[in-house]
Amino acid sequence: MSVSDATTALTEELAARDDMIVCEGLNKWFGDFQALDQITAVIKEREVVVVLGPSGSGKSTWIRCINRLEVHQEGRILVDGVELTNDLRNIEKIRSEVGMVFQQFNLFPHLTVLDNITLAPIWVRKKPKAEAEELARSLLERVGIPEQAEKYPGQLSGGQQQRVAIARALAMEPRIMLFDEPTSALDPEMIKEVLDVMKELALSGMTMMVVTHEMGFAREVADRVIFMEDGQIVETGTPEHFFTNPQEERTKLFLSQIL
Amino acid sequence: MTMPMGEGAVTAAAPAEAWADEREPAQKPEEPSLSAGEWLSRNLFSSAVNSVLTVVFTLLVLLAVRGLLNFTFSEERTWRAVKTNMRFLFTHAYPQEQYVRIWVCVGAIAVLSGLSIGLLAKTGRGISLKKLSMNLMGSGALIALGILLREPSAVVGDEGAVLHRDAAGAAGDSFVGWLDANALTVLGVLVLANVALAGWFHLQGTYLQGGPGPRVAHGVLVLASIGVLIVEQYAAGEVVREPFSEAMSDRAWWWLAAALLAGAGAAAWFGLGDSRRRNTFVPAMHVFFVVAGMAVLSGWVYPWGHYAFLEGEFISEPGSTVAMTTKLPWTVMWILLVGAYMLGRSLRTARAGPRLRLPLNLLWLLTPFVLYWAVLRDPDLDWDHVLTTDIPMALFFAAFGGLAIWFLAHPRVGEAGRIMAVVLVGVAALNWVAAFFGWYPMLQKARISFLLLAVIALLAHNFAGDRTQRMRLVAAWVALMAVFHWLVTLVNSPSTVKTPTDALVGGFSITLIVSTFTLLLAFPMGVLLALARTSKLPIFRVLSTVYIEVFRGVPLITLLFFFNVIFNLFLPQNMSLVDIAGATVGFALFSAAYLAENIRGGLQAVRRGQYEASDAVGFTTVQRTLFIVLPQALRVSIPPLVGQVIATFKETSLLAVVGIFDFLFIADKVISAQSEFLGVKREGLLFVSFIYWIFAYNMSKHSQRLEKRLGVGER
Ligand SMILES: Nc1ncnc2c1ncn2[C@@H]1O[C@H](COP(=O)(O)OP(=O)(O)OP(=O)(O)O)[C@@H](O)[C@H]1O
Ligand SMILES: [Mg+2]
Repeated sequence: MSVSDATTALTEELAARDDMIVCEGLNKWFGDFQALDQITAVIKEREVVVVLGPSGSGKSTWIRCINRLEVHQEGRILVDGVELTNDLRNIEKIRSEVGMVFQQFNLFPHLTVLDNITLAPIWVRKKPKAEAEELARSLLERVGIPEQAEKYPGQLSGGQQQRVAIARALAMEPRIMLFDEPTSALDPEMIKEVLDVMKELALSGMTMMVVTHEMGFAREVADRVIFMEDGQIVETGTPEHFFTNPQEERTKLFLSQIL
Repeated sequence: MTMPMGEGAVTAAAPAEAWADEREPAQKPEEPSLSAGEWLSRNLFSSAVNSVLTVVFTLLVLLAVRGLLNFTFSEERTWRAVKTNMRFLFTHAYPQEQYVRIWVCVGAIAVLSGLSIGLLAKTGRGISLKKLSMNLMGSGALIALGILLREPSAVVGDEGAVLHRDAAGAAGDSFVGWLDANALTVLGVLVLANVALAGWFHLQGTYLQGGPGPRVAHGVLVLASIGVLIVEQYAAGEVVREPFSEAMSDRAWWWLAAALLAGAGAAAWFGLGDSRRRNTFVPAMHVFFVVAGMAVLSGWVYPWGHYAFLEGEFISEPGSTVAMTTKLPWTVMWILLVGAYMLGRSLRTARAGPRLRLPLNLLWLLTPFVLYWAVLRDPDLDWDHVLTTDIPMALFFAAFGGLAIWFLAHPRVGEAGRIMAVVLVGVAALNWVAAFFGWYPMLQKARISFLLLAVIALLAHNFAGDRTQRMRLVAAWVALMAVFHWLVTLVNSPSTVKTPTDALVGGFSITLIVSTFTLLLAFPMGVLLALARTSKLPIFRVLSTVYIEVFRGVPLITLLFFFNVIFNLFLPQNMSLVDIAGATVGFALFSAAYLAENIRGGLQAVRRGQYEASDAVGFTTVQRTLFIVLPQALRVSIPPLVGQVIATFKETSLLAVVGIFDFLFIADKVISAQSEFLGVKREGLLFVSFIYWIFAYNMSKHSQRLEKRLGVGER
């Protein structure tokens, strides 16, 4: 049995279970620089995974590969049983199931908050406008800013903008949410309001993959912590295990620097 | 530097107004207005250097204004040439008995403008009474200054010739004569005194603290300089000029106007307290309506005189009021404009108001076509052909295309939709290939309809949705087909309006028509070119780059000559369009290249995060471009786009080189060849520049307002 047959068998077998994201031997290069090196990981339904690692370790690159904002060169990614290939139909399908929240919010500045949230449900999900607006208002309620619906993003604080961005992603009714350092661009007093929303989301059973430097969030909410360095996964484990009893030298070094 | 005192104060107050439009600012503590002297010393004489600059540039501006006034109002000017040829300048030889069509066009635009402004425009707070009264006083003062600065009229002898001084009577004996000879020296001395004064006070370190001394001294010196400029005129040159007292009484009407304006301004200023005049606002549109209304009214009461050039006859009746054929239509236009505005205002608060936005904007888009092809051209429809061919064909495309779109816009049409779209594209392409080889005959409009349908079929899945959404798409298609087939039918029918030239109208109308159609063609082209140039597909990138570089590298005039000659060769047999069609296409191809570059700049300003966020929520490339990227890119590129629009508007004056009777051509060549006005050019040129300037200035003002309004929520 050749190597590729083995991986196919493995991924197929894995995908049959309740696995939301399966990454299998991912390799990615930017030019000559290898940003991802043999990443293999499985994220299960309703699981909350926090990805940690020093700057430049490839956390963003990995998370962005999962909804094809970056294209991986080797290995396989399966999202909810659908493999990411160049086939546009698969990409469309996966993107409509995966919500993403960015460090810089990336709200659409020319649209009101309400339009920011309803645009994709109307045009991608083909929802009637009234229904989409109703959903948008209930989501704004959920993230705690129902009164800001008619404003423009530029008129909101950073924390409010990030909560709108979360609502925008949720409006597509995704099964998976990806967060790439959602609180790094925020002032300290706004971080909590965003983290609270994320906690509530985790408790409601959303499958989440979160890149963050908020150790408190990782300890309290994560089911699993993945530590990356130089494009590789160095160590994986539950938060207690990870923060109290790390196995790898590199993990210990990292933790000693940030804790 | 031309800034009169009033203007400066206005700009100083502007920033507060800029953002007050959109959000409620926190209540700013009231600061009382500065007194005039205080304002002057803070803004114009705040330091030695500033006060010297103020004085020197004020004098330079006054000199320039005096030159312009003397040129404009000189006895040597034949303004009758412009007055007589007013219609000629604006519409050229459009037949007199059909002239009502012109007025219908102007009226339609007046109604649409009124409605749009009333319904859509963000009016903000309007103009404060402070600003208004300052402007009134300022214009009164400007008129008074103008009266004084203008050269006195030359004295005309009994035989009608201008009287000249004999050598003996020339300058030298009186003080005025001496001043004339030494005006420059005196001015120079005054300016130097000013500089010295400013420098001395500056060295003392007491310029502003030193009490009213320096200000009064400066004031006296500046007034003395202006006095020199005025007095010196009364002895200038070789000709005999009327004395001061006569000159002033000759200009009684102007004095009256100046006094009325300044008086009204002063009454408003002093009648209200400082805080009331700053916090009472008048809508800007109302001020405009009043001014326009007074202009129209003056046509009925003031003896402007009746001048015309009708059927080869020059009419000249100085003492009478304006002709009925002028004052009546303009009165109707004013009523239409104001009426439509009031209608728009009342609809704004109505429930249907917001829903009228889209139809109104579409109407604007349609208006140029309807006005030119249906109203001005009065097509002679061949009803047999219309009933047997045109209408059935339009119905067929509406029904067939409507069904196809209904099917294609179903959210779950999937693979079947793609196949159907490809088939439609194939048919459309085949039709054009067939036309090229002459395999089977087909009306051109059928080919174009097929092509439109194919493009829409390719795009339909991007706009798929629920039943209402699909109904909307089908309705849009049916409307598009109705309008398209109707317009093609109009274009294919001969015109019943007979004019001596190939183009229906000339003069300023042709400027407006050509620039409007140029922009309607060039704008979509520019957007497509810019998108192609930034696209991922190399073939698009290369094609668009080549196009842009070629058209930017060729002089516009070459293009005009070229398209003027070859355009009709590309048209199907038995069809020929007038000259201006070729010229318009040439203009459009040229501006499209420039617009594309401007829009590309805007596209590059859209952050990468915007693309990523659009992709992450699952937009297709078309949706991302239409909903997210283009709106942001276009907003960024408003200033250069408007610059390009203004450039295109002015470049239409090149139409003259391909023998089209455009605005400039009439002023420059046609009027100066008339027997009455042989060689009279300057008046016409000045008038043409003035009209061009008014339009260009308004466009640039409007774009600034647009920018400000679209800037909402920008970080
Ligand atoms: N578009 C790109 N072109 C070239 N190199 C890139 C690109 N994007 C990322 N890289 C490189 O890949 C490596 C991983 O980057 P990545 O953004 O994934 O790091 P990260 O772990 O998210 O770091 P941080 O915590 O600073 O966000 C870095 O060394 C970076 O320089
Ligand atoms: Mg990162």
